[in-house]
Amino acid sequence: MSRGSVGLSVIVLLLPLAGLAFLAGETASFEWTSLWRDAAWRASLAVTLYVTLVSTTISLLIGTWLARTVRIREAVWLSALLKLPMFVPHVAGAYLFLLLFSGGFPFYGLVEANERHHFVVILTYVWKEVPFVFLMMLGTYGQLNRGYLDMAKTLQLTRFEQFKVAEWPFLLKPLLDSFWILVAFISFAYEVPALLGVTFPELLGVLAYERLTTGLFLNANESYAVALVWTLLISVGAFVSYLVTAKRRRRIEKGVRR
Amino acid sequence: MSLVVTKIQKNFKQRDVLNGVDLIVDKKEIHALVGVSGSGKSTLLRIIAGLETADTGTVTWDGEPLLGTPPHKRRITMLSQSPLLFPHLSVGENVTLATQNRSREQAEAWLDRVRLPGRYDDDIHELSGGEQQRVSFARALAAEPRLILLDEPFTNLDPDLKYELQRLIRDLVQQLELTALLVTHDREEAMLVADRVTLLEDGEVLATGTPGELYETEPAFGDFIELSGSSYPATMMEVTEEAGEPVVLVRQLNRFGNRLGEYRLATGTYVILPRDESFQVGETYYLRKKKGVV
Amino acid sequence: MSRVLIISFILFPFLGLLFGLPSPIRLDEVLMNTVFYVISLAVINVWLGLGTAWWLIFTESRWRTLVEWLVFIPLFIPVMASMFGMYIVLANVGLVGTYAGVLLVLLVSTLPYSIRLAYNAMYVIGRPLLEQTMTLPPLPRFSMVLFPLLAATMRTIVLFSTVIVLGQFVLVQLIGAGLIPTVTTQLYQSYAGNDVSLALQNTWVLILLPVLLYIGLGGLFRAAVRIMKERLR
Repeated sequence: MSRGSVGLSVIVLLLPLAGLAFLAGETASFEWTSLWRDAAWRASLAVTLYVTLVSTTISLLIGTWLARTVRIREAVWLSALLKLPMFVPHVAGAYLFLLLFSGGFPFYGLVEANERHHFVVILTYVWKEVPFVFLMMLGTYGQLNRGYLDMAKTLQLTRFEQFKVAEWPFLLKPLLDSFWILVAFISFAYEVPALLGVTFPELLGVLAYERLTTGLFLNANESYAVALVWTLLISVGAFVSYLVTAKRRRRIEKGVRR
Repeated sequence: MSLVVTKIQKNFKQRDVLNGVDLIVDKKEIHALVGVSGSGKSTLLRIIAGLETADTGTVTWDGEPLLGTPPHKRRITMLSQSPLLFPHLSVGENVTLATQNRSREQAEAWLDRVRLPGRYDDDIHELSGGEQQRVSFARALAAEPRLILLDEPFTNLDPDLKYELQRLIRDLVQQLELTALLVTHDREEAMLVADRVTLLEDGEVLATGTPGELYETEPAFGDFIELSGSSYPATMMEVTEEAGEPVVLVRQLNRFGNRLGEYRLATGTYVILPRDESFQVGETYYLRKKKGVV
Repeated sequence: MSRVLIISFILFPFLGLLFGLPSPIRLDEVLMNTVFYVISLAVINVWLGLGTAWWLIFTESRWRTLVEWLVFIPLFIPVMASMFGMYIVLANVGLVGTYAGVLLVLLVSTLPYSIRLAYNAMYVIGRPLLEQTMTLPPLPRFSMVLFPLLAATMRTIVLFSTVIVLGQFVLVQLIGAGLIPTVTTQLYQSYAGNDVSLALQNTWVLILLPVLLYIGLGGLFRAAVRIMKERLR
C-alpha cells in the first residue's frame, strides 16, 4: 500500500519542479534587464521585501514566544484559542480584516490611512501565521528535553545564558524551516494583498498575476520571468542558510538527548 | 551544619510526594538519600536545587533561606542520570561555560581531573556514555558550587564504568572538600559512596545515620558487614569451613603479613563490595550477603 | 493583561462576520464544486500523506533521501510561481479548464504539508511501536491500532488541506481558466462587484466548512474508536 502511494506522491511532487523547468524554457529568450528598467517591478520588489520580512519576523517572534509560554506555564487555554485562526482560509481572513479596517467603525479606514505601510496586509499575515509558527514550535518545545534547561539553571547561568544554551540551539532548525516556508508563502501570493493592498506599489505576486492575465497573456513571459527569478532567489537564500548552519545542526542532532 | 531542610511538604495531583521531610547535610560529607522510585527523593532534590517549589517547609544553607532564591543564584549544581551536555558546544566548551570567568585553562584543568585530558575540542557525540557523565561532573564542579546534587548519576552506566565513576566522584568530592547529596534507589551504592545515609519511604524520613549505624538499627537496610579502619596495604578474604559451617575470614595485612581481624559470618554467600579489586588504604569496604542464596 | 491582549488579538477579526447580513446559503454549483474539491482532496491527502510517511519511516531504499527532498522542497517554492509553470505544463496536455487539472494542482499545493504532518506524527509515535503493529494482519492492524493512534493526525491533515484549498483563488482561476467557480473565486467577484452580503456569505462558508468538517470528523473518529474498543471486550 505504501509503495503505491509513494509512487503517486513522487509524481505529484515532481510537478512543481517540472513547472519550474517549463518556466525556464519559456523565458529562455527573455530580456532580463527589462525587468529592472520597469519602475513598477522595482517598487514592487522593495515593498515585497518589506511586507514579507516584517510579517515573517513578527509571526516567528510571537509564535515562538506563545509556544514557550504554553509549554512552560502549561497554559492550555492558549493552545485552544490559537487554533481558531487555523480554521480560517487566508482569503476569508483578509476579507474580515478588510471589513473591519476599511469602513467607519471600529477602525475608521485604517487601510486607506496607512496604505503606504501595508499595515493591514501585515496584520492579516501575522494573525494567520502566528498559529502556524506556534504549532511548529509547540512540537519543538514538546520534544525539547527540559533537563537541559534545569541543567543550565543549576550551572548558575543567567536567564539569557540559560535561553542561549538550553533552548536556542534546538529552535534553530524549526525556526529556519518556518522562516523559509513563510517567506515563500507571503512573498509571492495574490489573495491577501489583492484584497487589502494598495494599487501602487503592488506586491510581486499581485503584479505578476495581473500582468499575466491582462491582455491575453501577451505579457506572460514577464510574469514567468519574475516567478522564476523569485523562486531562484528564495531557493538560493534557503540553501545558503542551511549550508551555513549545517555543521552546527549536525552537531546538535548527534549529541542531543531526548 | 550547612544544608538544613525542615518540614518540607509537597503535594502533587492530590497525592503527598513529600510529607514533612527533615534533612541535615553536614559540610564536607557525602550524604545519600535512599528510597525506592516514588519515595519522593528526586522531588526533594529538585526542591533543594530550586527547580521545583515546596508547598510548605524551609531549606537553608548556613541559616540563609534558599527557597526564594532562583536556582541560578543558589550555587548548587546538579549531576543527573543523563549527562545532558549541550550538543552545540564541544566537550571543553561545556565546562568553560560553567567556570566563573569563562576560562579555557580552568576547564582544561577540570577535564584533567576527571581523567579526560586533551579532549577539549572533541564533539560530545565522540564520547562514550561514561565519559560524557565525567564531563558533566567536571562541568558541575567548574561552577564552584557549595553543594553538589547527584541525582542517580550512575543509573545508565555499565557496572564497570559505574564503579569507576563512583570512585572518581567520591575521591574528588573528598579532595575538594565539597558537600554532596546523592539520590539513589540502590542501597549498595549508598554504602559505597556516602558518609551518611537517609532512608526515605513514602515521602517520610525513615532513618538517618552512617551506613554502620543503619546496619545496626534498620534490619530492612540490608545485610552488610563493615570492614573499616583498614590502614594497611591489603585486605584479603578467605573462605574456610569450621565444623561444617562456612566461615569467611577477612584478613587485613600489614607489611609483615599478620592477621589483624577476623570476621565470622553466618551461612550464606557473600560478595565483597566494590567488585573493583583495587583496594586502597584507609577505605571502608562492605560485605553483602547475597539474598536468596543459601 | 497580556492574556486580554492575546484573546482580543485572536478574536477581533471574527467581529467582521457580524458586519452585515449574509445572503442565504444555497446548494448551487459554486458550493457543490467547493465541497467536491474539499472532500476529494481530504481523502487523497490522508491516503497519500499517511502512505508516503509510512514508507519514509520504514524504507531502507536508496531513494529515501531523494523522496525526502521532494517532500521538503515544494514548501520553499512559492505556490503561485510553480503554478505558472504548471499552467504551461497542463496547457500542453489539455488539462487547463478541467476539474482534473484544478484537482491536481490543488493536490500539489497541499500534499507536502500532509506528508510532513503524517511523518512528524509517526516519528513521535516511534518506529518501535509502529513495528509492533506489523505482527497483525493488515485490516486489524489499521482498524485496531493505527487508526486510533493516527486519528488526530488525520483530522489535522484534513483541516490543513481544507483550509489551503479554500484559500486558493489564483490557482482555481488560472488552472480552471475561469470555468470552475468556487466559493473562493466567487468571493473575489462579489468583492469586485461590491456585493457585500454575497461576499460575507462566501466568507461564512469558507470558515464554516473547515469547522464543520473538523467537528464532524472528531465525532466520527471518536465513535469509530469506541465501536472498535467494544469489539475488543
